[in-house]
Amino acid sequence: MSKTLTKDEVNISELLDRPWITIVWDDPVNLMTYVTHVFIKLFGFSKERAHELMMQVHNEGRAVVSTGTREEMERDVQRLHEHGLWATLQRDDKI
Amino acid sequence: MSSFEKVGAGFSLDLTLDEANILINLVEQLLELLGEGDFFAHYDSSDPLAQLLALSSEIVTPDDPVLLRLLPNAYADPEAASDFRRYTEPQLRGAKQKNLRIVREELTILVDENHGGVIEELNSDVWLNALNDLRIALSVRLEIDETSFDKFEMLPDEDPQKPVYAVYFWLGWLQENLLGLLL
Repeated sequence: MSKTLTKDEVNISELLDRPWITIVWDDPVNLMTYVTHVFIKLFGFSKERAHELMMQVHNEGRAVVSTGTREEMERDVQRLHEHGLWATLQRDDKI
Repeated sequence: MSSFEKVGAGFSLDLTLDEANILINLVEQLLELLGEGDFFAHYDSSDPLAQLLALSSEIVTPDDPVLLRLLPNAYADPEAASDFRRYTEPQLRGAKQKNLRIVREELTILVDENHGGVIEELNSDVWLNALNDLRIALSVRLEIDETSFDKFEMLPDEDPQKPVYAVYFWLGWLQENLLGLLL
């Protein structure tokens, strides 16, 4: 017979499993080629992948550029800020 | 017109004296805004006391919109943003100051000798980031948006903002020029 999890237990396990994400937001200043260059430099993306993410930022206003632990995402946000990109981190809100 | 060039494995930048003067002026202003000479300047030093003081001093969300754009909040939540800022802002500020100081040093040689010329073997990462920070700073003051280029072209020549817009778009052109050699 399986044990039924209480509501609290479910929430905690979901919370622990959900990773953190780094989001880059669109701004009217950073050049498209510069954003692509920074994505390649910081995350090692291929030129195609970097371009695709840059276009997503440009067209949709934001894109998730990395996923991982809170500490890893804080490091990514800091590096993006060093390069003048507008970035924030948050817990992934997809369940 | 000035431009970056690829020379062997490195890059050079050819500037007139006027262009070097404009750039150095902007770099000085941004360094001043970033707080050159205050305790953040010691953060890079190996003095453990200076580092301790830099960390424990009060670091708050900047009031100036240029500083807030250059040193943005990392979290939407104000409390998390302020905690993160307390531990990371000196390093972020220091990284920006370091790039600007290198660029200033290279420009100073041209300006002091009172002629334009070529900056040889420049660090493309340092120049890209410094140019970007200068553009960001100007963009906040000029309230740049998608329509700004059209607005600039419509401005009469005697408008006092026209030369500032011209510098902003020139910096973008320079940055694009260097990126073209890298990508």
